[in-house]
Amino acid sequence: MFSLISPFFLLRIGLTYFLVWRRKAKKSIPLGDGWWGHGQQTLRDDNKIYPFKVETSEDEINDLHRRIDQMRYTEPLEDCGFQYGFNSNYLQKVVSYWRNQFDWKKQVAKLNEYPHFKTNIEGLDVHFVHVRAPHRPGQKVLPLMLVHGWPGSFFEFYKILPLLTDTKDDLAFEVICPSIPGYGFSEAPHKQGFCSLDAARIFLKLMERLGFNKFYLQGGDWGSLITTNMAQMKPQCVSGLHLNMLAVTKRGVGMLLSLIIGPYLPFLVGFTREDVRRLFPYFEKNVYDLLMESGYMHIQGTKPDTAGCGLNDSPVGLAAYILEKFSTWTDRKNRDLEDGDLEKKYSLDDLLTNVMIYWTTRSIIPSMRFYKENFKTNPQNRVDARTGIFVPMGHAAFPNELMHCPLPWARWRFKDIRSYSYMPRGGHFAAFEEPRLLAEDFVKFVRKVEGKKR
Amino acid sequence: MLLEVLLALVLGAVVLLVLRRSKAAVLKTEDGWWGAGSPPAGAEDESIRPFQVETSREEIEDLQRRIDQTRPVPSLEDSQFNYGFNSTYLQKVAAYWRNEFDWSKQVDKLNQYPHFKTKIEGIDVHYVHVKPKNLPEGRTAVPLIMVHGWPGSFYEFYGILPLLTEPANADDVAFEVICPSIPGYGFSEAPRKKGFNSVCAARVFLKLMRRLGFGRFYAQGGDWGWQITTNMAQLDPTAVKGLHINFAPVENVGPLLILSILLGRRFPGLFGFTELDVKRLYPRVEKMLVEPLKETGYFHIQATKPDTAGRGLNDSPVGLAAYILEKFSTWTDHEFRNLEDGGLERKFSLEDLLTNVMIYWTTGSITSSMRFYKENFAKGFYPPHARIPVTVPTGVAAFPNELMHTPKLWAKQKNHKLKTYTTMARGGHFAAMEEPGLMAQDIQKFIKVVEGKK
Repeated sequence: MFSLISPFFLLRIGLTYFLVWRRKAKKSIPLGDGWWGHGQQTLRDDNKIYPFKVETSEDEINDLHRRIDQMRYTEPLEDCGFQYGFNSNYLQKVVSYWRNQFDWKKQVAKLNEYPHFKTNIEGLDVHFVHVRAPHRPGQKVLPLMLVHGWPGSFFEFYKILPLLTDTKDDLAFEVICPSIPGYGFSEAPHKQGFCSLDAARIFLKLMERLGFNKFYLQGGDWGSLITTNMAQMKPQCVSGLHLNMLAVTKRGVGMLLSLIIGPYLPFLVGFTREDVRRLFPYFEKNVYDLLMESGYMHIQGTKPDTAGCGLNDSPVGLAAYILEKFSTWTDRKNRDLEDGDLEKKYSLDDLLTNVMIYWTTRSIIPSMRFYKENFKTNPQNRVDARTGIFVPMGHAAFPNELMHCPLPWARWRFKDIRSYSYMPRGGHFAAFEEPRLLAEDFVKFVRKVEGKKR
Repeated sequence: MLLEVLLALVLGAVVLLVLRRSKAAVLKTEDGWWGAGSPPAGAEDESIRPFQVETSREEIEDLQRRIDQTRPVPSLEDSQFNYGFNSTYLQKVAAYWRNEFDWSKQVDKLNQYPHFKTKIEGIDVHYVHVKPKNLPEGRTAVPLIMVHGWPGSFYEFYGILPLLTEPANADDVAFEVICPSIPGYGFSEAPRKKGFNSVCAARVFLKLMRRLGFGRFYAQGGDWGWQITTNMAQLDPTAVKGLHINFAPVENVGPLLILSILLGRRFPGLFGFTELDVKRLYPRVEKMLVEPLKETGYFHIQATKPDTAGRGLNDSPVGLAAYILEKFSTWTDHEFRNLEDGGLERKFSLEDLLTNVMIYWTTGSITSSMRFYKENFAKGFYPPHARIPVTVPTGVAAFPNELMHTPKLWAKQKNHKLKTYTTMARGGHFAAMEEPGLMAQDIQKFIKVVEGKK
């Protein structure tokens, strides 16, 4: 009996291994193509790059003030902190500052400190900030793209930009900070289906149009997925990929085993003590907490047009919706505080400037649609989820990030991890909250990559 | 994957069954106090005060001003209602609301029935009290409490009230109907303290009925109304003569339920599954996982961050209308998601729909209405009342387009004295408002079975 079975058995094993190996051997994903403008595609493709300036007007500011004045206050429950969402009492303080002290004209001037541009790609006007390093003798300047997420914007990078572009040592960066189409000053897609793969391809085209054929990438939140897709589409163009957020892809038995054994014998599954501290108790930290914090994702992933409608009329509603994330995703303990500890790590000026980018461009609804477009097909079955990443990668694991991904899990997909750092402090909005820490880790990663090249 | 999950569930259920001891079928509750600060010394004011809905020129002008200020964002091409409320159709609704809708006239319509308020557990509870006008000799009206849900209100019952209080048929029962507003909804005051869930609402409504002199009465409800009336029957089975529900989602997953899910398609007869049951439940993954996921984003965000979710909607009437009316479209028929106008006016008039929205708008109660979701899931999906069966005579009206379909077998697991189970000819979630005739008929059928048995 055994002699009959074994040749077929071996053949099946061999075939399976061959197919699996072949799949794993795919080092890139297809680029695809798209067109997202109104109606039918026009023949002419305008490749020009136009300078752009953020502007405002008295009308815009008066309209904002009028709407803030019209806010209809709802009393919060007693002793609820931020557990039910943004606390109404603290919101009144924020809104009062916004109405009476926040100077949008001054903030616009601040935004314009760096040169902005727009260029038309796949039917959409794509906005980006382009910061060149001042010419210093003996300095190597490497191109870098920083991609933001939701509910952030290119503005999140304004504190880290000088740390990367204006360095005094031998290494500096020339940085491109685009806005994801549908966010801020980038035009929103008019057609359905615009997901991270399309954003990645558009950003690759942008870098190409700017004359960069090899560059670094850095991102968190959606930026993490988009830059990863970029590295999967054109690995030959990406010198290195640095991420401050890693989405954990479920890997069945392997993950289950590490979850069961991890707390007791971490070294057996490749966990460090810090991994154990951040991951466990697993159910509470990863399932329960994630359920508590993913309501926005659920509604935006299904009914974005409904979810964003009221927020586009009510600046106070928009601020509450966005700033709740800056509180809770910086440190989940902030949920128990009356003021969500919002101003501990951020200034109201900076926070409201980010909100104003969504407000003045009316981009809250298109920004939410991105969730639906990315969850339309089961994200675990999409081509990028089933393909590895082979470019050099570095991960800065911040302690208060939404999810923790230990190195062994990251290795399932990222095949060339050059640096993995446990950051001492900081949460989801790493570049905004801890620009120095992020910059240091990023540069450390780049030096490792560049060092290996020489 | 699903098979493994279901097998695990079966095993788990068997284990639970073996370990669980039979529980006493009594729902316990403690008293509560929901006003601001501490309860005052002395007895509570139990007076019943007549109440009139009122409006003013300021209120109407403010509404119109805000509608004028709305900042619409065009929907994606060909997206109909799949991304939420369609922008083009929303502008039509807003234009009607701004120029044709007559709120003063609707307020008069609301006041055609007598309204009252009374203080219970520290908050003002609003209700409509409708007595039959022409009762034949020797007949007494049967008391009935009808409880609404979200995003509905007492106004949903205005179509069915005349059919119940002045039935056309001589041998139909004439009802004396109480339609309260759930605390936090419409004209009922919102609780100031955390923890006001469906059991608290049930206790408050039991006190209301007692205060009005009704020792024994019938209860009817859908959506939250189902949960609250069910809790009423669990808290005081002697007071609730019969319970009629048009919504009966499963709270308790037992081995019989799992077996029926696994085998029901192949052997419907074994479980008493009708054609409608099979159509609504299979294919399993699509109907029991994907569809509910697509429609529960609102639930998720309201059950976690209600204050954030409601914030913008309290300033933007158009945003509020989009949020609420999206449900009146999709929950009436899922197919309406593929229509440019969401099929909204096929079953409802804009006048009625907007009157319901105005109840949320003029009272500023959207946020407090959302908090009810969080309060009810504070202790997870399996609170004590989910494990306790209902022992009063129950009637289920199963409408074909209801959000969650419950076959008779499943309804029996919870309602041990299921007297009637009717597969209704047509209708969705807002049954009383959409099909008042059919609903009234089924209530009569149920009552006759219960009273007849006596």
